[in-house]
Amino acid sequence: MIITRKKDRNNILETVKKYDSFFLIGCSECASLCGTGNEEALDEMAEFLRSNGKKVTGTLIPKTGCQTLGTKIELKKDKDACEAADAIIVMSCGAGTQSAVEIFKDKPVYPSNDSLFLGNMTRFQMFDERCSLCGECIIGKTAGICPVTNCPKGLLVGPCGGMSDGKCEVSPDIPCAWVRIYERQKALNNLDEMKEVIGPKNWSAGQKPGNLSAKKDADKKEKKD
Amino acid sequence: MTLKEALDAGKFVVTAEIGPPKGTDIAEMIHHIDLLKGKIDAANITDNQSAVMRINSMSVCRLALEKGLEPILQMTCRDRNRIGLQSDLLGASILGIHNVLCMTGDHVSAGDHKEAKPVYDIESVQLLRIVDALNHGRDMMGNELKGATRFFQGAVVTPEANPVDPQLMKFEKKINAGANFFQTQAIYDIEKFKEFMAFARKFPIKVLAGFVVLKSAGMANFLNKFVPGITVPQLLIDELKAAGKENALDAGLNITARHIRQLKDGKICDGVHIMAIGMEDKVPTIMELAGLL
Repeated sequence: MIITRKKDRNNILETVKKYDSFFLIGCSECASLCGTGNEEALDEMAEFLRSNGKKVTGTLIPKTGCQTLGTKIELKKDKDACEAADAIIVMSCGAGTQSAVEIFKDKPVYPSNDSLFLGNMTRFQMFDERCSLCGECIIGKTAGICPVTNCPKGLLVGPCGGMSDGKCEVSPDIPCAWVRIYERQKALNNLDEMKEVIGPKNWSAGQKPGNLSAKKDADKKEKKD
Repeated sequence: MTLKEALDAGKFVVTAEIGPPKGTDIAEMIHHIDLLKGKIDAANITDNQSAVMRINSMSVCRLALEKGLEPILQMTCRDRNRIGLQSDLLGASILGIHNVLCMTGDHVSAGDHKEAKPVYDIESVQLLRIVDALNHGRDMMGNELKGATRFFQGAVVTPEANPVDPQLMKFEKKINAGANFFQTQAIYDIEKFKEFMAFARKFPIKVLAGFVVLKSAGMANFLNKFVPGITVPQLLIDELKAAGKENALDAGLNITARHIRQLKDGKICDGVHIMAIGMEDKVPTIMELAGLL
């Protein structure tokens, strides 16, 4: 899921200072699990805005904020509340926020969260990053552990000289990705796989902005076959 | 004599380090270059060491060359992508710089520009492959070059990494990628180093053992605690303590000289790399004490 963190509320207030009324949009998926776009977060934001002399014309927690068409349909019932607002505040990730930018052609849209990474939830509201969406997955060669993400240098060929007692030079809180890969390969009796030199990585596979039409992609593949 | 010629001739080679300063006042660095030329076989010119922004390595390499000191261009993958690295390698080549040390590079979080974007488009092993390709008249994509390079390329290894096996696997990858020589992280335990050399001697490469002079027991403890891959044995710490504060540096110089002598007399490795870190003027002293001058 996309991991988000609330921006400093006073900074948000400063950013939207020229507007008086707002419609708030959360998200029932990732941002709810992160506690940044669920009902409680929206209530808190509404309360904060009101206590600072602003108006909240309405709120919506769409099922999937980044699903632009679905969110647009869900918003139809809030047409009047949306129209009454000077601006929209979106309390989900950058993708959800830009759904709103597309939907509200003539209204300013502001994010209330910072989008951090694609993460796994390990315990309640505890997240860590395991995938960088690099466009060309190599974990089939690295015992299922992604060095592009888990190594701060994204090294593909083994640990650097900064590794100390299995920890990373960047922080002792980060286990060295390549020691983890080594240990798992060893346990799987696959150490010979570590002898392969991976890369140089094709970074163009993850060129931005990403764009995919799954149906066209599948048709193309079918033709090829 | 070039570094390659010295190593090929079987000379016990001494290299040291010149750290370019931060700023354009190079008087002290020139003094160090003058002091070391004619004594050591080559000097590593560091590449924004510890991710602290300074004068680039290539300019100082050229300066050292003009002054008569054989330079080793340190090249990290932290600040340049594959286009920048290859372009700089070609640039170094036409400036007459032919030794290159390929490294990954300390992370930007260690330095003085912590908000910088770390590059690591490629890494040490890939960089070695690139140097090999350039030496064969091709860039990394296989495009033909108008004129090949003739680099003598090396790399680094940490013999006391813990765990050591993944480090040794990478060491082999570096050899397969074309590394001719290795400079090691600082070593303090000669017996342990012999074990590493027993492994390294299986390969057709030259190894220069790394040395960082201990200035005090406090510094030794600091290295043990904070520097990856360095272990100073308690015996040496006791030796520094016993020397007292006044004489700790002398004791440190003596320890380094003693170790170098042991390596040379025992024909354990092919030379040494002295990282003086601010004490470049002590390098000739160490060499004298070790019987190398």
